[in-house]
Amino acid sequence: MGLLDRLSGLLGLKKKEVHVLCLGLDNSGKTTIINKLKPSNAQSQDIVPTIGFSIEKFKSSSLSFTVFDMSGQGRYRNLWEHYYKEGQAIIFVIDSSDRLRMVVAKEELDTLLNHPDIKHRRIPILFFANKMDLRDAVTSVKVSQLLCLENIKDKPWHICASDAIKGEGLQEGVDWLQDQIQAVKT
Amino acid sequence: MAAASSSDSDSGRAESNEASSKWLDAHYDPMANIHTFSSCLALADLHGDGEYKLVVGDLGPSGQHPRLKVLKGPTVLTESPLPALPAAAATFLMEQHEPRTPALALASGPCVYVYKNLRPYFKFSLPQLPPNPLEQDLWNQAKEDRIDPLTLKEMLEGIREKAEVPLSVQSLRFLQLELSEMEAFVSQHKSRSIKRQTVITTMTTLKKNLADEDAVSCLVLGTENKELLVLDPEAFTILAKMSLPSVPVFLEVSGQFDVEFRLAAACRNGNVYILRRDSKHPKYCIELSAQPVGLVRVHKVLVVGSTQESLHGFTHKGKKLWTVQMPAAILTMNLLEQRSRGLQAVMAGLANGEVRIYHDKALLNVIRTPDAVTSLCFGRYGREDNTLIITTRGGGLIIKILKRTAVFVEAGGVVGPPPAQAMKLSVPRKTRLYVDQTLREREAGTAMHRTFQTDLYLLRLQAARAYVRALESSLNPVSVMAREPLKLHAVAQKPSRRVGHTLQLLWPVPCLRQAPRSRAGHARSRLGTFLPRTGGALTAMVQGLGPTFKLTLHLQNTSAARPILGLLVCFLYNEVLYALPRAFFKVPLLVPGLIYPLETFVESLSDKGISDIIKVLVLREGQSAPLLSAHINMPVSEGLAAA
Ligand SMILES: Nc1nc2c(ncn2[C@@H]2O[C@H](COP(=O)(O)OP(=O)(O)O)[C@@H](O)[C@H]2O)c(=O)[nH]1
Ligand SMILES: [Mg+2]
Repeated sequence: MGLLDRLSGLLGLKKKEVHVLCLGLDNSGKTTIINKLKPSNAQSQDIVPTIGFSIEKFKSSSLSFTVFDMSGQGRYRNLWEHYYKEGQAIIFVIDSSDRLRMVVAKEELDTLLNHPDIKHRRIPILFFANKMDLRDAVTSVKVSQLLCLENIKDKPWHICASDAIKGEGLQEGVDWLQDQIQAVKT
Repeated sequence: MAAASSSDSDSGRAESNEASSKWLDAHYDPMANIHTFSSCLALADLHGDGEYKLVVGDLGPSGQHPRLKVLKGPTVLTESPLPALPAAAATFLMEQHEPRTPALALASGPCVYVYKNLRPYFKFSLPQLPPNPLEQDLWNQAKEDRIDPLTLKEMLEGIREKAEVPLSVQSLRFLQLELSEMEAFVSQHKSRSIKRQTVITTMTTLKKNLADEDAVSCLVLGTENKELLVLDPEAFTILAKMSLPSVPVFLEVSGQFDVEFRLAAACRNGNVYILRRDSKHPKYCIELSAQPVGLVRVHKVLVVGSTQESLHGFTHKGKKLWTVQMPAAILTMNLLEQRSRGLQAVMAGLANGEVRIYHDKALLNVIRTPDAVTSLCFGRYGREDNTLIITTRGGGLIIKILKRTAVFVEAGGVVGPPPAQAMKLSVPRKTRLYVDQTLREREAGTAMHRTFQTDLYLLRLQAARAYVRALESSLNPVSVMAREPLKLHAVAQKPSRRVGHTLQLLWPVPCLRQAPRSRAGHARSRLGTFLPRTGGALTAMVQGLGPTFKLTLHLQNTSAARPILGLLVCFLYNEVLYALPRAFFKVPLLVPGLIYPLETFVESLSDKGISDIIKVLVLREGQSAPLLSAHINMPVSEGLAAA
């Protein structure tokens, strides 16, 4: 990183760019979350199931995020791993109300954590226990139990309960992610 | 969620390692209070919200309180009582227009209850059947009080025993009554006209006119009256009626009603009947040696489970393909279709708690559950394709999800004949030419045989002539002349320089010109396998790598008693290429039967890697025509560097 870049970074003129992968099963609310994080004039009104993936950008107070919003549908999940190398952080979204597929989410998470492009990196992972507004939803503590998050020892991780439709819990998560990335960078 | 998490360990323990690597344990509730069988389970996106629900026609704990249940994920969404025990549940599209949410049909007693958006929509009742005229007559008499209840009972019983047409429900209930109750029953019912209605035993769906996944479908019903009915998807009128020799209990349909379809009905008499669109009666019949317990179509193969703990595969024409034996009684069967990998397989739920998955007769997977498996259903549930729903005898519900990466491979250890035996050879289609030829063979068989025989005799004659000519000119290593029965066997060998180096190159002499240069194989072949008793024989062998070879001739007097004296051996060779210490020598007396090895060295002179033949002649002193001869194809010398 050049001196000028760093200077402008310090001065807050140009924000540091980070690549984030947004992963999780289909219908967990990935697109809705990313949409909510975008400036309100850039938000789209209706969310349709993502095909393949889409690239979105949003900014936090000191970082500029480029998010790869991956489709969670079964047939697209094998695309995820092709983007692992580029990702500097991961957002993993879970539908807290889909009790049946919690095992599937765990299976995909385990596959992710054991992938050679991820396994030995201290890449920060932010979990959103999404749809907490729904009646069937389980708590974020329960979600982290079901996914055995306590077994992740070599990567910083954090779980937030969220309601992507109202936007609750999202900022807390993004702030954590920003801290982690800056801790790594400096 | 407590139930689900505890299930992980529970069913995990009961599973084989191999199986647990393919399935995720999504849910297990041993007390789900679901009592049903596979034909009463259906999966569909009933609300059109992308979340697939499970429909259960529940018999109730002891067949007492039948209910219709709809499950979302692991929980029961709605529940409503049913008037009679359910026979089958199916989901189907009734019409083309949007929203394309499937309707739910539940067969129970003589009726099919159709629900849309889970609200009652239509009730179809089986048509009335004509009552038995004798029975009708009896009740008419009762109406006019010309007959007393006791006689009525006797007469009805007589009809029940003999008659083709079964009694009405009214008469059957009357026959169950105690003497004291009869009078009241008769006076209460005598003025009613008797009705006879049958009940539905099985139900399935058949596409109307499109093969698409989401095409409009007709309901196909099987009845206790040994009939099959096809209903219109919208109007629920009877589009077609087919009759069977027995009561259908399982149905499998493929094709489209308006185009062409095939219907297989497993019946209570232990037969499976196969019908086509244009057939009012069965076209083919599969006779099982036991009662059917399930019927599943996998691509073009009909798989039938029988009470003899076995699965049988049949073609759609009823030809038996295979049989596999199960370790326990089959309680239920269903189809497993993994669309992403184009796999179709049969699942069999067994009394020992296993679910076995077969592709044809190859076992793909075994899932172990804690209880006898009573129903199975595989498909999209919730938002997950490839979900397996299992219910067990005690009312338990198990939900498993097939891993995204799971691939079923045919495990080894399949008992029975090797797979190659069952493999279908791709025999080419019969061509026009083949058919013409066959016809010609059939018509002119005798003439063709005669021509063939003539040719064969001519061939034999020619072969015999050639043999005689060869013998006469002594162009062979076997002499059959009565006076000199001889056999020659020649071997050429390079003297081994190093001890322990046993590589030998042996060239058999007989097929000298074509002898394959096999290095490792000791290609030694004897001459004169069809020697006459009194003949003599010559075999020659070349051994060694060169440039020095050892040539060994084996000469044998094959006569029974007479020794031979005065023979000469002569080598003819290109002197530019080879040098032999003695090109001409005398043979000692040959005792009958013994093989005399005659060795000589051959030095290859050329360094160009060329080889030639050496001719061996066995002569009789004073005669110019050889008795025996052999051509020895010398190997190329490979020992140049070493020499
Ligand atoms: N109730 C509720 N619904 C949500 C929430 N987040 C997303 N959804 C809904 O879930 C559905 C799927 O969301 P989407 O963002 O397309 O999921 P994706 O497949 O992970 O990208 C949409 O109908 C969203 O409106 C939430 O926090 N609460
Ligand atoms: Mg999406």
